[in-house]
Amino acid sequence: MTVPGQDTPVREARRARPVISFRSTEFTLGVLAVAAFVVLALTTRGSVLHADTLTAVFQFLAVPMVIGLAQMVVLGVGQMNLSVGVVTGFCAMVTAWLMVEVGLPAWLALVAGIATGAGIGLVNGLIVVLTRINGFIVTLATMTVIDGLRYGVHGTATYQGYSPGLVRLGQASVLGVPTVFLFAVLVAIAVAVFFRRMTVGRQLLASGGNPLAARLSGVSNDRSLVLAHLLSGLLAGVAGVIVVALSGSVNATIGDDLLLPSFAAPIIGGVALAGGVVSVVGTCLAALIVRLVDVAQAQYSINPDWVDLIVGAVVLGAVLVTQLRGRAAK
Amino acid sequence: MTVTAEKLVKVFPGVRALDEATLRLEPGTVHALLGENGAGKSTLIKILTGVLRPDGGRIVLADGAEAHFGGPHDAQRAGIGVVHQERNLIPAFSVAENIALSATPQRFGFVDRNAMRALAKRCLDQLEVRLDVDRPVSSLSVAQMQLVEIAKALAVDSQVLLLDEPTASLTSDEADRLFTVMRALRDRGHAIVLVSHKLDEVFAIADTVTVLRDGRSVAETKPLADFRTDQIVDLMVGRAHAVLELDRKAVDRAAAPALELDNVSTAGGHRDVSLTVRPGEIVGLYGLVGAGRSELARAVLGLDKITAGSIRVHGEPARIRDVGEALHRYRMGYVTENRKEEGVFLEQPISRNIAVTVWRRLARLGLVRAGDENALVATYQERLGMRLSGPGQLAGQLSGGNQQKVSLAKWLAADCDILVIDEPTVGIDVRTKAAFHELIVGLAADGLAILLISSDLPEMVTLADRVLVMRDHQLVGEVDNDHSYERTSQAVGRLLHVTGLVS
Repeated sequence: MTVPGQDTPVREARRARPVISFRSTEFTLGVLAVAAFVVLALTTRGSVLHADTLTAVFQFLAVPMVIGLAQMVVLGVGQMNLSVGVVTGFCAMVTAWLMVEVGLPAWLALVAGIATGAGIGLVNGLIVVLTRINGFIVTLATMTVIDGLRYGVHGTATYQGYSPGLVRLGQASVLGVPTVFLFAVLVAIAVAVFFRRMTVGRQLLASGGNPLAARLSGVSNDRSLVLAHLLSGLLAGVAGVIVVALSGSVNATIGDDLLLPSFAAPIIGGVALAGGVVSVVGTCLAALIVRLVDVAQAQYSINPDWVDLIVGAVVLGAVLVTQLRGRAAK
Repeated sequence: MTVTAEKLVKVFPGVRALDEATLRLEPGTVHALLGENGAGKSTLIKILTGVLRPDGGRIVLADGAEAHFGGPHDAQRAGIGVVHQERNLIPAFSVAENIALSATPQRFGFVDRNAMRALAKRCLDQLEVRLDVDRPVSSLSVAQMQLVEIAKALAVDSQVLLLDEPTASLTSDEADRLFTVMRALRDRGHAIVLVSHKLDEVFAIADTVTVLRDGRSVAETKPLADFRTDQIVDLMVGRAHAVLELDRKAVDRAAAPALELDNVSTAGGHRDVSLTVRPGEIVGLYGLVGAGRSELARAVLGLDKITAGSIRVHGEPARIRDVGEALHRYRMGYVTENRKEEGVFLEQPISRNIAVTVWRRLARLGLVRAGDENALVATYQERLGMRLSGPGQLAGQLSGGNQQKVSLAKWLAADCDILVIDEPTVGIDVRTKAAFHELIVGLAADGLAILLISSDLPEMVTLADRVLVMRDHQLVGEVDNDHSYERTSQAVGRLLHVTGLVS
């Protein structure tokens, strides 16, 4: 038996969401990022605005951005991917190893690195769909497996001295903007187009938002799940090759500290944990804010041990604010 | 303990779910609470058990005091217990732990296991049920779980017991045992409220009856012996409902059927169901709740398993494995009865809600243009009379009626020629309902084949060309509807009472 009349006509009168709403999470985050920049600039007497510092800020924003998107894609379908961090590290290792030990040309190694990530994601997705085990558990397992694989295969080796051209490209800037950041922005645009315009992207969100309704509308939830995990792995692979291009040397510890940031960006960015709602802009802005915490740490010479505490507090605070706003809207 | 609910009123935005409903529960009686979907039974139970607060009226307890339940806990303390349709047991706990959950005996902060087991045994004894109290609940049958739930209510000394559709998932033997238990409790002086859609079992066990319709109590605590089954059905359905006069185009009975079911049996329990729907025809599938109508629709669309028989679409044998296939290959759509849970994506804009079925068609090089989606919204906003602020408005912000229109629009957009429409107007106000009826008639006039599932008999009489009557997962007959409420309702009533009724 249904309880009738859950809605009021009054709520109908409320305007639809315009493209940029002053009450949206994205707008709040944008203002917050600008404010943080201003405060940093004022309190450090402008040293944040020096070209070198700015370059570093955005260079090292590329990986958190892409890794946040990798998590966001899976959150969109209502699951989580605990393996994004280690997959990033693993793909970086594979790429560097292919160049250093196998002698593949850089472009081929990059493609192979990204394909590795996509492959792992595909496996994650297939396990989730075939066994009906929740993605959280499946990726917890694959995370551990890949982690073991990383050390088992490569040990404590460090790969370096690969393709000087690639490293130069990773360090370069176009019109003052770091290439890796530009690349990350292109990736973000691609993800946005995927969710906004592509049939399968929209179906993925439909599955995440209401699997029952999706099924009754002829959408395959299984396909959405596999696709989400596949894309997540692919994006982790992309993050991995960015690391390779950016750092010039790769070892087995890369990616260990990426799991929390991968959740922090989408969660602060207003992505619903329950699925169905994603925000590329919000996720990227949130990654920037988390990045600024790092910058502040360096600028104020705060003990680095406290950075995680601050990031953790920001995540908790952001989720709390989102929830309070949700309640206020009702 | 006597409990009286006097003139209870509960208003939800847009709907008076309860409109001065009155009910009197006497100790030592089994009281049937009847009414069709949306009549207000659930709301009444929720008020009696403290889940909801009434907007008007009052609940008076035995001592004449007025009860003000702040929450379920208060109702429980006042001696009102409820056994819900969905089980509220903890599977990993033992029978004893579950029974004693709200009243766990303690000693110095530790669970007194012996006292707990003794309490559980005492409660089960009252029910004359023998059950090992140390077994985990997960190992029990559904019927046993139900008994544990009743024992759990007794453990907190409930004098009034509300049973919501207790036999819905029981076999008839198990149901008989449950009735024995209910009689035993009645004879011990408990007041029992039975909510059920199965009229035969109501007549088998209940002493008194209250019938709700549109939130009003149309029969208040009357002796059940004063009624015949058809009189109860009339009270539930209501003869006063106006049957709308709509211009119907005559159906071409010679036309080839769009959808045919031939002796279809399903895993859900349907046996040998055969029916045909022609283009331009509205075939009604009527029956009381639980008769298996929606389940049949779901099986046809590939959501449940078909175990025997065949389906033909436009004369061709059809094997439908999922809704996607039904949609893309057979152009068949299903407008679900649970629009909130299954019909719309609340967090997404209306444009996407409508275009979800046609993205594949709209996409160019894999990309969907917002303009194409918005054009769809404009088309159906006009055609269905949807009240929207724009195509970007979130579906969750719409009223129930407009959500239902969105849910329908996505199938119209998909250009279906067979539509299964399930309870289209439940919980929708009268004006929108009339608009919906005109809409459905219009779709049939355009040549769609429509299978209409509804528990609303006046709606059936208004819309259907033929009414098929389903009972216990079987079709028991067909009524040629001449849009006279009098004749059709009598014919349907006769079919519903044909077999197995205890009079």
